[in-house]
Amino acid sequence: MANYFNTLPLREQLEQLGKCRFMALSEFADGVEALKGKKMVVIGCGAQGLNQGLNLRDSGLDVSYALRPEAIEQKRQSWKNATENGFTVGTYEELIPTADVVLNLTPDKQHTSVVNAVMPLMKEGACLSYSHGFNIVEEGMKIRDDLTVIMVAPKCPGSEVRAEYVRGFGVPTLIAVHEDNDPKGEGLALAKAYAVGTGGHKAGVLMSSFIAEVKSDLMGEQTILCGMLQTGSILCFDKMIEEGIDAGYASKLIQYGWETITEALKYGGVTNMLDRLSNPAKIKAFDLAEELKQIMRPLYNKHQDDIIDGTFSRVMMEDWANDDKNLLQWRADTAETNFEKTPAGDVEISEQEYFDNGILMVAMVKAGVELAFETMTAAGIIAESAYYESLHETPLIANTIARKKLYEMNATISDTAEYGCYLYNHACVPLLGDFMKGIKSDVIGKGLSVEDNGVDNARLIEVNAALRSHPVEAVGSVLRGHMADMKKIV
Amino acid sequence: MTASICLQNLTVNFDDRFKLSEIDWSITSDQHWVITGTNGAGKSALGAVLAGAGEIESGTLSGVPGKVGLVSFEAQAELIAQELKKDDADIMDVIAEGTPVREMIFNDCADPDLASELVEKFGLTGLLDRAFRKLSTGETRKMMLIRALSSKPDLLILDEPFDGLDANTLVMLQEHLAAIVDDVPMILVLNRFDEMPAFITHVAYVDKGRLSHTVDRQDETAFNELYQLLHLKTTDLDVPEADPASKLPDLDPAQPLVKLKNIRVKYGDDVIIDGLDWTIERGQHWQLSGPNGSGKTCLLSLITGDHPQCYVNDIFVFGFQRGNGESIWQIKQFIGYVSTALQWEYRVSTSCKNVIISGFYDSIGMYTKSTDKQKEIADQWLALLGMSDRADQPFNKLSYGDQRLLLIARAMVKHPPLLILDEPCLGLDDMNRQLVLALIEKICEAKNTTVLYVNHHAEDQIAGIENFLALSKAG
Repeated sequence: MANYFNTLPLREQLEQLGKCRFMALSEFADGVEALKGKKMVVIGCGAQGLNQGLNLRDSGLDVSYALRPEAIEQKRQSWKNATENGFTVGTYEELIPTADVVLNLTPDKQHTSVVNAVMPLMKEGACLSYSHGFNIVEEGMKIRDDLTVIMVAPKCPGSEVRAEYVRGFGVPTLIAVHEDNDPKGEGLALAKAYAVGTGGHKAGVLMSSFIAEVKSDLMGEQTILCGMLQTGSILCFDKMIEEGIDAGYASKLIQYGWETITEALKYGGVTNMLDRLSNPAKIKAFDLAEELKQIMRPLYNKHQDDIIDGTFSRVMMEDWANDDKNLLQWRADTAETNFEKTPAGDVEISEQEYFDNGILMVAMVKAGVELAFETMTAAGIIAESAYYESLHETPLIANTIARKKLYEMNATISDTAEYGCYLYNHACVPLLGDFMKGIKSDVIGKGLSVEDNGVDNARLIEVNAALRSHPVEAVGSVLRGHMADMKKIV
Repeated sequence: MTASICLQNLTVNFDDRFKLSEIDWSITSDQHWVITGTNGAGKSALGAVLAGAGEIESGTLSGVPGKVGLVSFEAQAELIAQELKKDDADIMDVIAEGTPVREMIFNDCADPDLASELVEKFGLTGLLDRAFRKLSTGETRKMMLIRALSSKPDLLILDEPFDGLDANTLVMLQEHLAAIVDDVPMILVLNRFDEMPAFITHVAYVDKGRLSHTVDRQDETAFNELYQLLHLKTTDLDVPEADPASKLPDLDPAQPLVKLKNIRVKYGDDVIIDGLDWTIERGQHWQLSGPNGSGKTCLLSLITGDHPQCYVNDIFVFGFQRGNGESIWQIKQFIGYVSTALQWEYRVSTSCKNVIISGFYDSIGMYTKSTDKQKEIADQWLALLGMSDRADQPFNKLSYGDQRLLLIARAMVKHPPLLILDEPCLGLDDMNRQLVLALIEKICEAKNTTVLYVNHHAEDQIAGIENFLALSKAG
C-alpha cells in the first residue's frame, strides 16, 4: 500500500486539502432518515465506539457490535461495554454480512488488519465508515469498488460525544466522503444522517475531505494540543523548582492550570484568555508569546511538512512494525519526569491565581494555538478546519491533564497523537533551552511584582488590537456562536 | 440586650379548637418581630399567647411585661361581645345606646394627649360621641389601635394592623410605629411580606401550630427564602399555560402512560431489578420508595430512556414499545424530570430564564433561539416562584434550593403527561424542602399531570398520591 495523498497530482492534493465548508442546520432537515431501518454494525467498543453507538441507538437507529472472537470468549472490556449496555454482540462472521453500514471505530493502528478482515464479509453496496482517515490517506488502503466510504469524526473525546448528546446537544463534527468510493452517490446523505444520529448537527458540521481531516488532525494533535502541553508542563515545572517554588504548589499550578486558563480560551478565544490577566501581565504574556512563536515556527513548519509529505506516518508505521519500541520507551520516559512524579500539593489556588501566576503558560498556549493555526492555513487547510484542530480541542486535552497529568493525557489520546506528541516534545524542549534560561518566577510561579498596574496606553492598545485581529479569533467567534451555553469545567 | 420574653417548649390549647405546640422562642426588648405564616397556621394564636390567651398545657412562658397592648380581630370581637353582654345585663327596659367611643378611648387612658392626637389623625373626631358598637369594623379597628398606642404598653402586639386601612391612614400608622420603635418592642402579625415595616428586625414563621423558622432580617439569604416560601404558600397564582406552538402529540387515552413487564436489570452478575411489573395509568399519582441501591433511579431511567438496558426490556411508554426505531427525544418530550443528578449535570452558564425555557427542548442549556411566547411563559413561572428579579442572573450563582425550584419549573413548563420527581428534596434544608413541597402541591392540584414521586422521607408526603411502590434490595 502506498501513501494515497502522495499518489495524487498536486492540483488534486490542493483541492482536497482546501475542502472545508461549514454546513447550515437546514441541510440536516432529513434527520436520520437515510439510516432508518438499516443495520449499523460497530467494530470496536472503546470510548468512541461505545459512545457513538449509544447516541445512534438513542436516535432510533439499529446498532450492534462486532468483536473479535477472543474479545467475546475472554469477556474483555469491549465485550462488557457492549453487553452491559444492552447491545447485540457477535463475531465479524455473524454480523458483518448483515450490515448496511460498518462503523470502523478501532484505533488507527488496527485499521489495516480490521478492514482486511471485514471487507470480504461486507455485502455488496454496503457502506464503510471511519472516524479518522489515516488508513485511507496515509496507508493507502484500497476499498472494494462497490462499497461507499465515508467519515464522520466528532471533534471531541468519546465521553464528551455522549455527555453532550444526553444534554440535548452534540459536539462539532467533521464529515467527508471518499470520492474514490461513492459508487451510488449516497455517501453524503449517509454521513449527514450519521452526524444527526450522534447529535453533531446541533454543534456544527464541517464538510471536509479525508485528506484535509488527516493532515489537519495530525498537525493539531502533535503540536499545540498535546506536544505543547507536554513540553510546557515539563519546562514550567523544572523552572519553578529551580526558582525555589514549593514543588507541590508548582505541580498543582500546572496540573490544573492548563484546564483553568484554556477554559477562558474555550469561551472567548485567545483574546479572552489574555484579558484575564492584569494589563502589565497581559503585555508580558504577549511579548513572551511573540518570542516563543519566533523560536518555534521552524518546528511547526517541520511538523506540517513531515505530515504533508508522509514522512511522519512512514516513520511512525516503522515503529508499529517494530512493536512500538519507541512509543513505549517514550511513554516510560514521560512517567519519569519530575512533574509527573511530584503530586499536586494540598494548597488552595484560586481561579484567578492560575492566570496571575501562570503568565508563561498563557503565553505558551497563545503561541501554540496561533502557530498551529497559521501553519495549517499556510499549508492550504481551511480556517474552520484549522480552528477545530487547534484552539477548539486545546481545552479538551487540558482537561485530561487535570485528571491525571501527562499520563492521563497520553492514555486518552490515540497512539498516533501520543507518538506525535513525543516527537514534538523531544524537539521542542532543547529548542526552548536558551529562552527558558531567561525565565524567572515572575512569569511562572509567583506572578509579576509591580508597584502599580499602570501600563503605557499606546502599547496596551497595540497589544489588544493584535490579539483581536488574529485570524483564529475571527473564525473562532463565528464557530463558537454555534456552541452556546457551554458546560462549565471548574 | 435587656430582659427577654422566653417561651420554652410551650404548648398552648385554645378551647380544643387549636393548639400551638412545643414553641421555643425568645424575644429581647430591643427586637421587633413579624410573625407570619399561611392562613390557619397559628400566627395570630402565637401573638395572642403573649397577651395571655389560651391555656398552657406544658412548657413555660416567662418575662412577659405587665402591660401588653393587643390589637387583633379576636380582641376586637371580644370587646364587641363584652359590650353586647353589658347590654344584655341591663335590666332597664330602654334602648341602650352603649358606651360612647370617647369613653372607650379616654377612660383609663395613660396618655390622653397622644390619644387626642391619634383621634385626630385617624379621623375619628366626629365619631367620639357615637356608641362604640355602632362603629363600622374599620372604625372599631382604628379605635382599638388608638387605645393600644396610647396605653403606654411595655409590649405592643398588632395583628394585621394594616388590614382594611385606607392608604393615607396606613402611611400615618407606619410612620407613627416607626417613631416609637425605641420606646416599645413590637410584634406584628402579618400575612404579607411587602407590608413589613423597615424597623422589623426578626421574622417568625408559623406552620401548622409550630414555630418552624425564626430568621434574623440581617441574614439576607434566609430572609429571601422565607419570603419565597410565604409567597408560594399564600399567593393564589395559577400554573402558567403550556406553549400552544409546541403542543405535544396526543396520546391514546385508552393506553397506560407506562407499562413495564418482567423488568430485569443487571450489571455483570449483579442483579438490580428482577422480574418487576409496573403499570402507570394516566392520572394515577405514584410514590416510589426503597432503600439505597434498591434500583429506584434505575427503574426511573428505564422509563426516561436514560438507561441503556431499556432496549433489552419489555417497556411500553407513551405509545412506543421501546427498541422499534423511536428516538429518546420522542420519549422525553412526554416527561418532566427533576433529580439531584440533573442538578449536578446542569452546570451551564445560562440565565435562570433560559433554564426554564430549556424545558421546552428537554436540553440542558439552550442551543437554539427561544420564541417570544416561550419567554413569556418563563416569566410567568419566575413570577410564580417569586424569582422575577433573578430572571437574567446566572443559574449557577443561585442557592441550591432556588436551583431546585427552577428545575421543577423547567420540568413543568411543557405540561408533561408524566412528572418524575426523584428525591426532589434531597440535600435541601428544611426551609427549601417546604418551598419545594409547596410548589409540587401547587402543581399536583393545578394540572393534568401524573406525578411519580420518589422519596424515602416519610414526612415529605404529597397530598393526592395514593399509589405506592416499594422496592427492596434484589438478592
